[in-house]
Amino acid sequence: MACAVRRLRIGSALPLGCALAALWPAPASASDLRLFTPDTLEVSGDLRLVAVDGEKSWVDGGFGKLRSGSDGDWKLQPQLGNADLIWQPQFTWSLSATVVGSVQGGQRTQAGLSQAYLSFRPMRSASGTAFSARVGLMWPPVSLEHLGADWHVADSITPSAINSWIGEEVRPVAAEGTIAANLGAHKLRATAAIMAANDTSGTLLTFRGWALHDRTTLAFNRQPLPPLGDEFSGVQAPFTRPLIDLHSGFAHRPGYYAKLAWQPPIPVRIELFRYDNRANPQDVIPELEWGWRTQFDNVGLVAELGGGAQLKAQALQGRTRMGFRQDGRRWIDNRFRSAFVLLSKPVGPVGLAVRGDWFDTRNRGSMWTQEYDEHGWSAMLAAKREFGLFTGVVELLHVSSDTPAREHSGEDPRQRQTQLQAELRMHW
Amino acid sequence: MVRRVLLLAVGLALAAPLAAAPLTVRVVEASGRPVRDAVVTLYPAGGAARAPKGGGHYVVSQKDIQFHPFLTIVPVGADVSFPNLDNTKHHVYSFSPAKRFELKLFAKDQSRTVHFDKAGVIALGCNIHDQMSAFIFVTDSAWTTRTNAQGVASFADAPDVPGRLTVWHPYLRAPGGIVQQAVNAKQRIAGFRVRLRAPPPAMSMDY
Repeated sequence: MACAVRRLRIGSALPLGCALAALWPAPASASDLRLFTPDTLEVSGDLRLVAVDGEKSWVDGGFGKLRSGSDGDWKLQPQLGNADLIWQPQFTWSLSATVVGSVQGGQRTQAGLSQAYLSFRPMRSASGTAFSARVGLMWPPVSLEHLGADWHVADSITPSAINSWIGEEVRPVAAEGTIAANLGAHKLRATAAIMAANDTSGTLLTFRGWALHDRTTLAFNRQPLPPLGDEFSGVQAPFTRPLIDLHSGFAHRPGYYAKLAWQPPIPVRIELFRYDNRANPQDVIPELEWGWRTQFDNVGLVAELGGGAQLKAQALQGRTRMGFRQDGRRWIDNRFRSAFVLLSKPVGPVGLAVRGDWFDTRNRGSMWTQEYDEHGWSAMLAAKREFGLFTGVVELLHVSSDTPAREHSGEDPRQRQTQLQAELRMHW
Repeated sequence: MVRRVLLLAVGLALAAPLAAAPLTVRVVEASGRPVRDAVVTLYPAGGAARAPKGGGHYVVSQKDIQFHPFLTIVPVGADVSFPNLDNTKHHVYSFSPAKRFELKLFAKDQSRTVHFDKAGVIALGCNIHDQMSAFIFVTDSAWTTRTNAQGVASFADAPDVPGRLTVWHPYLRAPGGIVQQAVNAKQRIAGFRVRLRAPPPAMSMDY
């Protein structure tokens, strides 16, 4: 961890300082500056009761897809879910910061930094064209399921496989700019960013496969990998730190992401997103963490169906490569894809949500071959109700998946798991 | 006594043009569907024209990432407060010629007030939340009201003189969103048939 902190601290000080100087529009007046006033601080968190069957969770080094796991039988346990302290100081009316510290409970409690970035949002022009920028550690704008600085899941407890992975392995240090404009009755928004410190993205997705949980990676923290088998024991560390820069010199090999969003004059929004971390698959550090060249495209759709009903859908397809070439192929060449459809509708004071998820991986590397391909699906039903500062959520989730990698720990490649959760959220 | 009765009758006859039966205005779409929340204004000709009682205090709040109410009619000279009841900050603005202003970031339970000193339509927005939209109609006529669910607006004290009726609606397909027609002195019923655009979807583009 100290090494990762040093890499970020030394390497990022200059670019972040320059970015801050560029964003600072004018000296802050006394009325604009708010550092520790009550409106700059928020606290959110949840307690939950979890009943789960099936295999051991990936959080404990297993292949289980969920945040909690068992030994086959039903297990019931109370848990601290996530707790966040959100600080959003205002330096000038157009320049602010967001810093989120998080504690994640459950089977392996962790604490750390979730997001830390500067935001610049000047007044839009009279024509409606608006510009905004962010610099720092932040999630790219991919997920349609998450809201707020604490990145909580809006309609359920557990996000889809796509956005679970985004929370685990896709959170760079980035400099991002967005332009929003109206063309007649059409709204358009274009975002572009350069980024670094996301070189190991793809490690979990390859060795463990897809997962469904709301446990995100906190800065500098590591995530466990399941048993790697003979091929990669001694080649890859038994863990991954998704938020680090491996290439020598911070941001000397920056990646990028870009997004286009279009809202026609009907209640529909379509989003296209592309990500490429441009990591060198041959980079490796003494801790045996490798560069993973990860690219993906994501398509998102939001449609208001009337009566408060809303449809959200995402489809993501990508590829990650790691290691040296052998017989014309990288050690690992993993094509991954996933999609979900989420339908939500208020029924009286209760918000109902139902979601179907599909996911798979196809491995064509020289060392990690198609015998490790994964196929799976999940179904989720959730209900939530707000009580002032509190929100109660109940969720039933079933996941079924098949991957021969489970044979590394002597398990049946095909596993099914069901989880019932009741959660009480607080936001203050 | 007879003389008093005669004087009263003459007085009522003279007063009649200024306080006749109500003037009723109905606004419908081309399909015949009533148009709700259209702002109807009567401008009597000549000396019968009258400005509304000035001043007053009105409120347009921000709650659940929306303005409430969506449409507010105020007289010239009114003050409008913009309390923020959301957990997030808002940055309220208007680029409308009748009043350009911006209320830079203010947080929950904070409020800002704007004085409206010129007649016209004020389109409100939030620089943070694209989906927020509302309108303030600042009027310089004492006879201004909005249509009900049946598309009907009524002026109980409309003077019995010639004049001009205008209808404004945020989604009306016409220059400035406004149409007008003349009314004659004895006219007590008027109708407008208008075409509306579909309201823009109230969807967030923010992240």
